[in-house]
Amino acid sequence: MTMRLVAAELVDSRQILPGQWLQSFHAPELASGARAGQFVHVRTGDYSGLVLRRPFSINTADAATGIITLHFRTVGRGTEWMTRVREGEKLDMLGPLGRPFEVDPRSHHLLLIAGGLGMAGVRMLADEAIRDGRSVTVLFGAANAGHVYPSSLLPDEVEYVVATDDGSMGHHGFVTELMADYEAWADQAFACGPHPMLKRLAALAAGRRERMGVAKLGRRGGGKTDATGSAAARRKSFLQVAMEQTMGCAVGACLGCTVIGVDGPLRVCREGPVFAAEEISWEAIQ
Amino acid sequence: MKGRKKVVTAMDALPARSKRSSPPKNRKGAPSPLDRAMGLGGRPRIETGSAAIADLGTAPSPQPTMSEREALDRIDLSVDIAPERGLLLTNPILVASGTFGYGVEYGEVVDVQRIGAICCKGTTLRPRAGNAPPRVTETPGGMLNAIGLQNPGVDAVIDKYGPIWQGWKVPVIVNIAGESIEDYVEVAKRLDGVPGVAGIELNISCPNVGKGGLQFAIDRDAARAVTTAVRRATELPLLVKLSPNVTDVRPIAKAIEEAGADAITAINTLSGLAVSSDRTRAFLGNTYGGLSGPAVKPVALRIVYEVAQVVSIPIVAIGGVTNLDDVLDFLACGAVAVQVGTAIFADPELPVRLGDELRAECLRRGLASYKPLIGTALPKRTGTPSAKGAEYRP
Repeated sequence: MTMRLVAAELVDSRQILPGQWLQSFHAPELASGARAGQFVHVRTGDYSGLVLRRPFSINTADAATGIITLHFRTVGRGTEWMTRVREGEKLDMLGPLGRPFEVDPRSHHLLLIAGGLGMAGVRMLADEAIRDGRSVTVLFGAANAGHVYPSSLLPDEVEYVVATDDGSMGHHGFVTELMADYEAWADQAFACGPHPMLKRLAALAAGRRERMGVAKLGRRGGGKTDATGSAAARRKSFLQVAMEQTMGCAVGACLGCTVIGVDGPLRVCREGPVFAAEEISWEAIQ
Repeated sequence: MKGRKKVVTAMDALPARSKRSSPPKNRKGAPSPLDRAMGLGGRPRIETGSAAIADLGTAPSPQPTMSEREALDRIDLSVDIAPERGLLLTNPILVASGTFGYGVEYGEVVDVQRIGAICCKGTTLRPRAGNAPPRVTETPGGMLNAIGLQNPGVDAVIDKYGPIWQGWKVPVIVNIAGESIEDYVEVAKRLDGVPGVAGIELNISCPNVGKGGLQFAIDRDAARAVTTAVRRATELPLLVKLSPNVTDVRPIAKAIEEAGADAITAINTLSGLAVSSDRTRAFLGNTYGGLSGPAVKPVALRIVYEVAQVVSIPIVAIGGVTNLDDVLDFLACGAVAVQVGTAIFADPELPVRLGDELRAECLRRGLASYKPLIGTALPKRTGTPSAKGAEYRP
């Protein structure tokens, strides 16, 4: 679906965690065309005095009701402004933008790994996977129990495993430490969260095929290789990551939101926000 | 002069004009009584509130009646921003280099053919990977960027976008940058005669690259040298983009005019800095960034105002344009056309809408063309342009 400018009406807004909000918007054009991993670029009101739009992952999209949800943390004036928008008001959204997660049709077990607000990046993929009959495990990491994403907001079919930095809930440590228990089970993994977390996951995922003795399917010699960054290449990748970057235009014009890839700069808004882990030059990521 | 075909050959269609649409000449009997009565202070501010958001995709003004529509269509917004070589625009609202990519990126949400002209992303001889991220951040009333001229190189730009631009009604002005005069000359030569390239904007003022960039814009002799060299290399209409990061822009503007530029673009971004949230380093990967957006408008206005008094070539103004009032301000300070930049990120339809709003404003003031709006705020003077402005110090 091509991007468009949409007037999205706020229908519900609530604080689900300290400083974290879940807002529902009636935007049928976005709800029917969006795929997991894509995002919208939201304009704050003219009277906000802010000159840039704010990018948000599409947290969920329901084509039947025309509702999309956004999950965000108040980090500055733009997001604070959004929490004060009242029901019935319309926000100017540009979307859906970016390239989605690519699930291999042969993958039955999907591992979703989210750090904090990274849940918003992978949340919709859980819906899509369950709709398609796949089993989903979500690994979630937060600072403490008070910041753990409520399980009531996840589909019932999902296995939900939590890690907290202070051990106040679930595993005591980083969410990346849970990866070892699940990497054999998972056919593919999809992650969103702070860059150090993604970097660690990429390191853990590297060489997995050999370590696990995963058979290479297809012809001897490997057949044709897909171009790096193509949807086909991403579909074959074990780990896909949704990256964040400060953003200007969100349509690929300003080159502001790049991350460093192995073949040069990659625009998070156009080539991303989802990348195969192999596309990213992790040494350059802090 | 070589017998080269003009890129745009609609000069004859233009009303006869002097070498420059200097304010006194334009004002000679031009302002209608309505215009004079309105003055500048009496202008209503343009409302752009949530009402505009409520009807996205529709014109903000009420639908004009049939006769109004005809009257609007009769208003002449065309302008030639390079009178000697011909670079005719259907309206004076351009999109600024670096904010609109190569014109194709916004194609799904904007009718790009209705824009006056597109200045494409800064293009260099060889491909450039640009600066380390992060590259942009918001600031009060503006933003800082330090892209670092990421681009695939002039040959790739010509191959990939030339054929697309050729089919477009909207002229595309290629913004070029380099590390040396030879680089600039070579890029200009390769663009010369490429179908779909309507002109060149010489970016001698990028604050975000180490070598090249600013060094040509802060020194009068360097600015003259690079402009002269590129002028010799191409017959394409040539705009030169000024930097605000100088003590006095006027001698530089004058040198650029003498070196044969067809027009001056003013201004590029102001050099600035942002600090990381933990305050242990600069936020941007490049440390420094260029400030743009409404925050820089007063600076841009001042520079346009100063330059308009010392040069007689057209001035294309840029700096914080977000609504029609900004456009009218820049015109009043002597610009013949205006570029929209940062505001596009929030409001991609703005450049097209500003053209419509300018047309409506002319109708409201009873003007057949927007030209009488140019230079109305400049100091009154008699006869030929004098160097009087040069005595003024801010």
